Amino acid sequence: MSTYTIPVGPLHVALEEPMYFKVEVDGETVRSVDITAGHAHRGVEYLTTKRSIYQNVTLTERICSLCSNSHPEAYCMAIETIAGIELPQRAQYLRVIAGEIKRIASHLFNVAIQAHLVGFDSLFMHVMETREIMQDVKETLFGNRMEIGANTIGGVRFDLDADGLAYLDAQLARLQPILDDIITHYRTNRSFIDRTRGIGVLTHAQALDCGVVGPVARASGIAYDVRVKAPYNAYDRLDVPVQTGTDGDVWSRAIVRLSEARVSIDILRQCAADLPAGETGPRERQIIPAGQTVAKCEAPRGELIYYVKTDGSPNPERVKWRVPSFMNWGALTLMLAEAKVADIALIVNSVDPCISCTER
Amino acid sequence: MPESLALLLSVAIFPGGAFALALGLGLKGIDRRVAARLQRRVGPPLLQPFFDLIKLSRKKTMVPDAACRPLFLALPAVGAASMLLAAALVPIANVYLPSPALGNMLVLFYLLVVPGMVLMLAGSASGSPFGAIGFSREMMLMLAYESPIVLVLVAAGLRAGGGDGIVLSLSDIAAYQQAHGAFLLDPAMWPTLLAFAAFLPANLGTVPFDTPEAETEVLEGPLLEYSGAPLGLFKVMSALKAVVVLNLGICLFFPATPDGLLPGLGAHLLKLLPMAAGVTLLRVSMGRMRVDQAFRFFFKWPLALAAAGIAAVALS
Repeated sequence: MSTYTIPVGPLHVALEEPMYFKVEVDGETVRSVDITAGHAHRGVEYLTTKRSIYQNVTLTERICSLCSNSHPEAYCMAIETIAGIELPQRAQYLRVIAGEIKRIASHLFNVAIQAHLVGFDSLFMHVMETREIMQDVKETLFGNRMEIGANTIGGVRFDLDADGLAYLDAQLARLQPILDDIITHYRTNRSFIDRTRGIGVLTHAQALDCGVVGPVARASGIAYDVRVKAPYNAYDRLDVPVQTGTDGDVWSRAIVRLSEARVSIDILRQCAADLPAGETGPRERQIIPAGQTVAKCEAPRGELIYYVKTDGSPNPERVKWRVPSFMNWGALTLMLAEAKVADIALIVNSVDPCISCTER
Repeated sequence: MPESLALLLSVAIFPGGAFALALGLGLKGIDRRVAARLQRRVGPPLLQPFFDLIKLSRKKTMVPDAACRPLFLALPAVGAASMLLAAALVPIANVYLPSPALGNMLVLFYLLVVPGMVLMLAGSASGSPFGAIGFSREMMLMLAYESPIVLVLVAAGLRAGGGDGIVLSLSDIAAYQQAHGAFLLDPAMWPTLLAFAAFLPANLGTVPFDTPEAETEVLEGPLLEYSGAPLGLFKVMSALKAVVVLNLGICLFFPATPDGLLPGLGAHLLKLLPMAAGVTLLRVSMGRMRVDQAFRFFFKWPLALAAAGIAAVALS
């Protein structure tokens, strides 16, 4: 049987964002994959140089809604390094809280879609309903469900009083048993395991070659987590066990994400318990001097790196970022080799590609 | 009433035709509502499948340039017509006996293959690569589930024959059970019953066997290019097919109903509901199988069970 081409994307029910895979198939087996990007390019990097340094905190938050806390976080870290601003202790912990809440919601979203893609819609609904707990937390604590606007240069834009902490704690107590139950489900449900184990395998060696980051790397057995390797904010004072898998398949990536969501609950509790008193940010805006630096943080999808160069003027001279999905989607060609047509969407989703981050 | 008129009525009004269509769409509405409630959603109104059908009938029909136009447009009608006829072929005990002129179990078996064939041809006639994948998946799945169903029909026929060969008339199989007790309560028929239970979701194309039309994998495969009235005819086909297959299950395993037209019909409908609920429950409680997994599953379990069913019938 000769091969023929099927288009997956740019708009495809199984992909949340536009991405175009030209898949050469032989029957049901993939022979080659050609990834075409660029459908969601909005020129945000250029825009950052047309906005002031402070306006860019808002702009970078709007690059992508799922990583919407990580972008301004890394950007603020870079500016703070250039200006030599010391982050108040309380703000360091509050940034961790904002980041981990977003991480739980983002990971649950991804594993929910995973269930949808194998046709297990009840599990999809259940996980999405569970994710709503975190969405509610975001709306209550930050006033928004996705763009939470938590960061500002030199601090955070929100504070948690006793009521807020009690509310957070209560919601975490509500989430934890359901999440534990979901983890057991993903670990033991035959229907899910049959479709995801041994699918889209990225071996340890391949993962190192591709330089993948985040849960994709950790599922292939690379214990790399920026929160541990290069602690920022309050992570050096918190216990962050790195979650790794061994198989590097779709299932391992789902399990790593779920385990990380579970760990995030513990991190949030540690933060709530240790939260120091004091200022949450600067009272006045500072003039940012000339300089350049690199800052990085662990976004839900992996290591997010920001390069910022300033020249003493109100606008930055250059802002450039490398997003985790950029490293991870290159590995898709390896994962999709010899895959079945039925598994294409599943494998693509397992790297949790964030197109709007990557193409900005 | 002249026999030709009675035949026409049985195909067009009751128990095929309008009645079967309304029943099929009603069951679909219940299925969607129950599934939604099980997933803690509100779900669509019970009459949504009817609304969908009315909407589709008023929509414009698009035919892709790459499609084979006559075939593309004719196939949905062929599929719906085959099921219309099939619905008139299944007896409902105490309510309806199909005329022998319509045909026996073998005719029904052939008619039941038609929807699958139609979907396969429609997939390839649409000229879309996803349709082609749907074609190959439908073919594999049909190969897998058709062999157990043949054995199921043979086992039921043999059992109703009572040792003197095979009975090919569904009315006779139903009559035999009314005289000797339902096959549902007959241990020798239990393997056959299980094989039929596996055939049900595969033939209806629901999770875990909805691979040919999987939305997230092949964008509904053969149906991808269809729109308007032809798509509506496919919906009619699948609604009628659900009624035919469920009726067949009742006829093969527990046809007994109280005397009289209305009590008989009421009992029949009451039996349909748990069967349809079973399909719904299965569909919400698991994910989709890959086509090779489904293929292997059918050659492992239902086929073995159906063969064991024949052996059990032959031995007892």
